[in-house]
Amino acid sequence: MRDLALVAFLVLLLGFGLRRPFLLVLGYVYIDIVSPQRLSYNLLTSIPISQIFFLAAFLGWLIRDDKKGLRVAPRQWLLCFLLAWVAFTTFTADFPVEALEKWDWAWKALVFAIFLPFTLRTKLRLETLLLLMTLSAATIIIIGGIKTILSGGGYGVLNLGVDNNSGLYESSIISTLAIGLIPIILYLRKYGTIFPTDWRVNAFAGALIFACLLMPIGTEARTGLVCMAVLGVLMLRDNKRRFLYMAGTAFALMVSIPFLPASFTQRMDTIEGYQGDESASTRIAVWAWTWNYVQEHPLGGGFEAYRGNKISFQTTGTKAAGNVEVVVAANLTDEGRAYHSSYFEMLGEQGWPGFLAWLALHATGLVRMEILRRRYRRSEGREAWIAPLATTLQHSHIIYLIGSLFVGIAFQSFVYMWMAIEIGLDAYCRKLGTGEAKSGWGKTRLQPTKAIAKPA
Amino acid sequence: MIDLFAMAVSHGLMLLAAWRLLSRDDLDRDAPPARAGDET
Repeated sequence: MRDLALVAFLVLLLGFGLRRPFLLVLGYVYIDIVSPQRLSYNLLTSIPISQIFFLAAFLGWLIRDDKKGLRVAPRQWLLCFLLAWVAFTTFTADFPVEALEKWDWAWKALVFAIFLPFTLRTKLRLETLLLLMTLSAATIIIIGGIKTILSGGGYGVLNLGVDNNSGLYESSIISTLAIGLIPIILYLRKYGTIFPTDWRVNAFAGALIFACLLMPIGTEARTGLVCMAVLGVLMLRDNKRRFLYMAGTAFALMVSIPFLPASFTQRMDTIEGYQGDESASTRIAVWAWTWNYVQEHPLGGGFEAYRGNKISFQTTGTKAAGNVEVVVAANLTDEGRAYHSSYFEMLGEQGWPGFLAWLALHATGLVRMEILRRRYRRSEGREAWIAPLATTLQHSHIIYLIGSLFVGIAFQSFVYMWMAIEIGLDAYCRKLGTGEAKSGWGKTRLQPTKAIAKPA
Repeated sequence: MIDLFAMAVSHGLMLLAAWRLLSRDDLDRDAPPARAGDET
């Protein structure tokens, strides 16, 4: 039954795509995020739906779409370089067989990120893509949210609908991205035109945000908690009632703590006392190993290079012995530990060239969004949505970059789609730019302030 | 049961969005500057 419903859904999307080829692009995005072939028992597993949709989306764009003023943005060139570089490091990888497995999906994320901005030519397309990404991720987040409320969840315990713990279904990844999604949900609630603001949209957005906040609790992924803190700070930026917001957040936190499962609070305590925690200690040891590795292999070891590591580390903890607490230190060794950080993942696997290109991609994205945010800050009417969207994308991007410190998601396709939307928005504004001839950081700087305007 | 509910909600909304997009001309081409329907 579920299989049939999923097939019917995909067939309908394909049918709609014949009338509006952009919907085929959305179809591919949906398949990439939700992986319906994994939710299906057998019907979809044998059909290469991902390839079918990508080919259809590309052909639809090639044949039917308007390509006037098409331009390859600098970040798309950077992505091309990264793709070529990743191909090179895969070719020369320390573990060629394992590297090929990661290459198999990573290249698709990069190619799609290069292609996607070409299709994002209108405001509605930007909105549609954001909406579809949100609803696709919502499939996983709603499951996680409800199960957390009913069972309390647990690290590695929460079942998100599939047994396979990969892609977005991995607990740390979904926690990070769910928090990163919150600014986008808020944006769509306010500026969406497909589902314009009304009580139903407000209710759904509120429930979905609540479910997003539950993801780090349900999965007990500490990264998610760090991301929540970052989100809390970022929300202060454009908030006109800061004190009310801060008081409200503090109150909500105080009220919610008693409802948190005990295992969650215990696990979150280990953020502070990381010395006693094996997972945190191994991370630091792996990062140190990666740093040393890249000194000897500045061009990186290719995908899965971490498999070559052999690390020893120390954990210290306390143990009660009668009335006294004894400090217990243990020396542990381990090998083949994953990076647990996108930064070290890039550094170890892609060396300095790949790492710097990746960093430049993200830094450019943040800076460009800041520029748009300032340029369009006071825009009204038809351009009123631009600054809020730039801010939203920037905030999500920052949350991802902070979450990435502790999770190896450098090639997560979801993030490359966000990046593509940033490139698309940038290109859109470039086309618009004729109207008010906006340039530099913002036009508001030239306006006299009250102090200057005061008569002498 | 929960899985099915979540899938039904998200997929239903995606289909509804796709359906609404079929009749939106501004999906493929931005509306001209003086769009009357903007504020109504």
